[in-house]
Amino acid sequence: MTEPGAMTQRLRETCRRLLEEGKVQVVIGWGGAGRLASPTQAESPAPLSFPTQAEPHAPLSGTPAPRPVFITRAEDAEKLEWNDRCFANLTVYLTRKEVKALGKAAVVVKGCDERSLVVLEKESQIERGSLHAIGMVCEGVGTPREAKCAGCEVRVPRFADETIGEAEGAAASATAVASRLDGLMAKSPAERWAFWTAEFARCVKCYACRQVCPLCYCERCIADKNRPVAIETSASARGNFAWHITRAFHLAARCIGCGECSRACPAGIPLGLLNQSLAQATEEDFGYRPGMDPKAEPVFGNWSPADKEDFIR
Amino acid sequence: MSAIIPVAELGELVAGWIGAGKLVAAPVAVGDRLLYQQLASADQAVFDARRRPANSIKEFLFPRHEPLFRYRIEGRGIELSEVAPEEREQIVIGAKPCDAAALPILDLVFNWDFEDGFYTARRARTTVISLACAAEDEACFCTSVGLGPEDEAGSDAMLFDLGDGRFAVRAVTEKGKALFGERQAEPPAPRPGPEPKFDAARVGRYLASHFESPLWKELTLACLGCGACAYTCPTCHCFDMVDEGNAAGGVRVKNWDSCQFPLFTLHASGHNPRSVQPQRQRQRLFHKFVTYPQKFNAVLCTGCGNCERNCPAGLGVLAVLKAIDGEAMNQDAKEPVQA
Amino acid sequence: MTAQFEPKIVAYVCNWCTYLGADLAGTNRLEYPPNVRILRLPCTGRIDFNLIVKAFEMGADAVLVSGCHPGDCHYTAGNYHARRRWMLFRRLLDTLGIETERVHFAWISAAEGKKWQQVIGEITEKTRQMGPYAAYQELSEAAK
Repeated sequence: MTEPGAMTQRLRETCRRLLEEGKVQVVIGWGGAGRLASPTQAESPAPLSFPTQAEPHAPLSGTPAPRPVFITRAEDAEKLEWNDRCFANLTVYLTRKEVKALGKAAVVVKGCDERSLVVLEKESQIERGSLHAIGMVCEGVGTPREAKCAGCEVRVPRFADETIGEAEGAAASATAVASRLDGLMAKSPAERWAFWTAEFARCVKCYACRQVCPLCYCERCIADKNRPVAIETSASARGNFAWHITRAFHLAARCIGCGECSRACPAGIPLGLLNQSLAQATEEDFGYRPGMDPKAEPVFGNWSPADKEDFIR
Repeated sequence: MSAIIPVAELGELVAGWIGAGKLVAAPVAVGDRLLYQQLASADQAVFDARRRPANSIKEFLFPRHEPLFRYRIEGRGIELSEVAPEEREQIVIGAKPCDAAALPILDLVFNWDFEDGFYTARRARTTVISLACAAEDEACFCTSVGLGPEDEAGSDAMLFDLGDGRFAVRAVTEKGKALFGERQAEPPAPRPGPEPKFDAARVGRYLASHFESPLWKELTLACLGCGACAYTCPTCHCFDMVDEGNAAGGVRVKNWDSCQFPLFTLHASGHNPRSVQPQRQRQRLFHKFVTYPQKFNAVLCTGCGNCERNCPAGLGVLAVLKAIDGEAMNQDAKEPVQA
Repeated sequence: MTAQFEPKIVAYVCNWCTYLGADLAGTNRLEYPPNVRILRLPCTGRIDFNLIVKAFEMGADAVLVSGCHPGDCHYTAGNYHARRRWMLFRRLLDTLGIETERVHFAWISAAEGKKWQQVIGEITEKTRQMGPYAAYQELSEAAK
C-alpha cells in the first residue's frame, strides 16, 4: 500500500499540473495548512482534543482533520492533504453556484464519494465530461474506522480520470459486521418508534444533514417552501418526524451511503440508518445500488410490470 | 457548611431540586458526546470539567421552538388564546463558563428596544451553576474574546473540579447564594486557559474597513449553509416566526433561524441580498465582531468553539478569524494604526 | 354506556377509478361505514408520500391509498410509479416504527363498487380493533 505521505505528494503534483496546464480552474480537495492558519502565529499544541465533526472519533490530540479547500493557484497545491481523516464528501460542492462560478473543476474523491458522481450525472446535475475526478485509493477513514468502511467494495475508485495510490493490495475490508440497522430492525415497531422519538427529540432542524448531502441539491428544498408550508419547520416532535421522513424518502434509491448526514449531525442522530434501510429495500426489491453502475436505470422514474404488489389489495 | 462538595452530594442536591419540581438541566452523555439536556433523573448528569457539550445552554432561555399563542378561526372571527407560561424555577448545572458568559451578552439585545418577555421571564427564574474548565482544545478561544476558563460572567455559582471526586463551590450572585448559602471556596490555582489566538479588536477594526474583500470568497467557500454553527452557538439568537395550522386554526411559534441558510434574506420580491455563501459568512462575522460591539459594546462570541467542532466542513469562526487577524497584522505592519 | 371508538379513516383515491367505484357503491345503495373521509386526486401517481404522514398528523387512525388497476391508469403509468413508491415507503415507515398495518393500498376500479364496500368495511373494523393511533396523535399534542 502506498504510504499516505507519498499519496499526498502525488496529489499535490497532480493539482499543480492540472492548474498550470489550465486543464481546470479549481481543484476541490482536502487540506488545512496555509492561509487558513494565521501565518504569524504558531499552532499552539493542545493537551486534549474534543471530537469534532471533521473527525468524529479523534484520538485525544493532534491537529484538526483536513477540511475542504478550493485550490485555484498552482502554488497553493501545498495545502492539499490526504490521510485517513479526509472524511468530507467533496462532491457536494459540485452543484453549488459559488463553486461552479470558479470554472472547470477537479474534485478529489474516495471510492464512496465517487458514487455521487454517477448519480449526479444520471440526474443531469453535472456534466461528467467537463469534470476531472482524482480518485484516491482508500483504506478507510476514522479511528476507529467509520461504520461505512467495513465491507467497502470501492476502495479503488472506478471511474476517476486519474487514480492515486496502488490498486493492488487494496483488498476489500473485512466483511461488514452485524450492523446497527440489523439491531434496530430486530426490535419491535413500538421499540423502534421509541428509539426514533428519542433521537429526533435532539434534532434542532439545523439541516446540516441536508446541506452536507451531495444529492440534496434542490435550489429550494421542499422544507423551505412556505406558500403553503409543506414540511413544518419547527424543531418539534411532529416537525422533526416530518422532516426526517421527507429527507430519507427523497433520497430513496438515490443515497450512495457516504454517511455524511450522520457525521454532520451536531446532535449525533444516526440518520444514515434511515437511508441504509431504504438502500437495503432498494437492493432487495429492484436489485439496484445507487452510484455503482452508470448504465443502470434509476428506480424512480421507471417501473416494471413485475414490481411486487403483495401488499396491495 | 463546607465549600467542598463531593460528587455524590452534588448528585443528591440535583435529585432534591428535581424532586422539588424544578427544571434542572445539565450535560448528559449521548453516544460519544455530551449535550445539555433537561434531566429526568440526577444520575444522568455528567460533571466533566475536561469536556464541552456540543450544544449550548441558550435553549433553556431561548427555546428552539416556542409557541407564542394559539388561534382559532370561526367564520370571520379569530379567537386568540394564551399559551400557559412555564412558571417553574430552572437550574442549569455544569454549564461551561463560555456558555454562562453568553447570557449577559444576550441580555443586551433581548432588553434593547423591546423587552423580549419570553426570554426575560425565563432568565429571571434560571440559576446558572457553571463548572470551571480543567482543559481546553484547539477549538477553544475564550481568552481571545476577553473571557477565560474560570470567568464568572453569567454564573450564579461556580464549581471547581478538585480532581478527586470533590468540587469546590463559589456562590457568585444572590441566586447562587440562595442555592449554596455562603459557601465561598478558594478556587484552586487559576488556570490560564488557551493562548489567545487572535486580537478581537484588531479583527473588528480590519473587518469594518474590509467589507468588500476577496478574502471572503477565499476563506468561506467550504461553508455548506447549514445551521450547525448558529444553533450550537451560545450567543446566536436569530429566530423566525411561523403560523402552524390550517383553516380551522393553529399556533404561532418562534423557531431558531440561521443567517447561513440560503433563504434567510430572501425577499418576497424574490431578491436575495445575500445570495451566495461568502456574503452570509461575512454577515455572521460582522454581526459578532463589528455590529454587536458597535451597538452594545460586547463581542457576540464567547470563544466556546462549538462552531468549529460542529461544522461539517470544519470551518467554524476561529479559522476565519485567525486568517483575518493575520491579514490585519500584515496590514498594520504596512500602515500602522494611528493611536 | 361508553361510546364505541369510531376510527377516522382517510382515503386518498384517484379520480378515474376508485372515486367512481366509491360513487358506484353509493348509487347501488351499498352500505359502508361512514368513518371514511374521501380525498380525490387525479391519480395515485400524484399522491405524495407526505400526504399519508399528514393524515396521521391530523388525527387519522388509518389511511387507504387506492387507484386504478395496473394497466388501466387513466394517465397510462401513474399507478405504476405509485406502486414503486409505495414499495419503498412502507419500508421506511417500518424502520421508523410507524404502524404499517394502518396504511392500506388497493386497486379499485370504477366498476368495483362492491370491492370499495368490502375494503372500507374491513379497514374500518380492523382499525376499530387496533384502536386510535395514539403514538402519532401524541406527536401532534407535543407539537402544540
